Amino acid sequence: MRRNLGLMALLILWEALSALGLLNPLYAPPPSQVLLTLMGLFREGEIWPHLQATFTAALLGLGTGILLGGILGLLAAFSPLVADLLEPVMLLLNAIPRVILAPLFVIWLGIGLASKVALSLVLVAVLIFFAVYSGVKQVDPRLVERIRTLGGGRYWLLREVYLPSITAWVLSSLKVAVGFAFTGAVVGEFVAASRGLGYLLSFAQSTYNARLSLALIALIVAFVLLLFFLFNRLEAKLLRWRGQTSPTPG
Amino acid sequence: MVLEVQGLHLGYGPIPVLEGVDLQVEEGEFVSLVGPSGSGKSTLLRAIAGLLTPQRGGIQRACPQEEVGFLFQEDALLPWRTALDNVALGLRIRGWPRERARKEAEAWLERLGLSGLGHRFPHQLSGGQRKRVALAQVLALKPRLLLMDEPFASLDAILRTQVTQDLLSLVEEEGIAVLLVTHDLEEAISLADRVCLLSQGPRARIIQEHRIPFSRPRDPVRVKADPRFGLYLQSLWQELKEASRCAVT
Repeated sequence: MRRNLGLMALLILWEALSALGLLNPLYAPPPSQVLLTLMGLFREGEIWPHLQATFTAALLGLGTGILLGGILGLLAAFSPLVADLLEPVMLLLNAIPRVILAPLFVIWLGIGLASKVALSLVLVAVLIFFAVYSGVKQVDPRLVERIRTLGGGRYWLLREVYLPSITAWVLSSLKVAVGFAFTGAVVGEFVAASRGLGYLLSFAQSTYNARLSLALIALIVAFVLLLFFLFNRLEAKLLRWRGQTSPTPG
Repeated sequence: MVLEVQGLHLGYGPIPVLEGVDLQVEEGEFVSLVGPSGSGKSTLLRAIAGLLTPQRGGIQRACPQEEVGFLFQEDALLPWRTALDNVALGLRIRGWPRERARKEAEAWLERLGLSGLGHRFPHQLSGGQRKRVALAQVLALKPRLLLMDEPFASLDAILRTQVTQDLLSLVEEEGIAVLLVTHDLEEAISLADRVCLLSQGPRARIIQEHRIPFSRPRDPVRVKADPRFGLYLQSLWQELKEASRCAVT
């Protein structure tokens, strides 16, 4: 609550400073103007194809990234050979700012949807790979031994120990992954695109339209917050067993 | 005889931790295993549980692996399963259908004084309650031999006494043979029919055996008031001290 108050206070201050003529509306248009611009975008309907483009890219990247990262993470966790082959690549990909791959993807895949999905996918997959990989590696060995002494084999280990453990780690990284997915899509659109929020943003920049820039930023923030909220609900439901104190995976 | 260990050799390096261990446990008998720290008590128990493979010598069990229960020092309940599902887990692994396993698990929770707590997750239970869940999980499988490695070491004295009392009466009722590893000599004597002393490792083996003739069913607290209890404790303590000293010189 208090944190929301801080944000509100900032917006009111901003609005007041603009009204007093202390802020140049060209650089820092007041929140009310930004809101009007945003409403205008929806009223005229020109925003929809852009929204659709960005969302399609981000959600496809998120889905395929989770799938690919998850499968590779599982393979690496259970096969030392795969781990030796994959880990250096993944560590490298993890260390670099992966958005630098954007121009390359445009060259390879064109300026359409595919290059944006690819960038999102790479951003998300590396994150999920490490979540799954460490999820398996950090499994409590006592639990494994417990299942064994109860007579359980591989099926029961996977079902009762590995999958729940991985789920906890993946869910914790999922919120970061959502942010990454949108980063991938929007940055991809910055670089080269004919549609999308990133394309609109770069258009706003080239025409020195701070008002449009801020409206688009507000829009993206709103959507990411909405997704955060949904994932929080999912996490609370699936990780009921954790109680108040949630371990924070690195 | 439910368990017979003969000439067991086991080690991780060139010098064996255990060398020539002989140990028998009769049907329904309660045996305590004590020894200086580092003597390989836990190693022996893990070998009997089938978690370690001995280099030489044999472990013969009169019952199949499924009828051996094992209780860990730290409770290892699945944090993402409720108490009820944790108890039912062993039965589910044995191929029981879910509803039947749950019904049986409920009955065991009740026997351990946990009725109504089945829906709780481990983090919502106290340390003593978690121990009872772990105990119910093992006992629900109707073991003929129960292997325990300082199972209640993490509990405070009062809880420990209570859980131990309950465990003993259940074990007596069900006629389960028990092999208990403990460093607590009073616990070893008050619970067991026989106390075996392991020498200081490496190359540890069993050097002493005492029959504890207190009758059953037995109250482990009342037994301590028996004048013979003090004598057993004293001689065991003396032997343990000597066993530890031998290794130093």
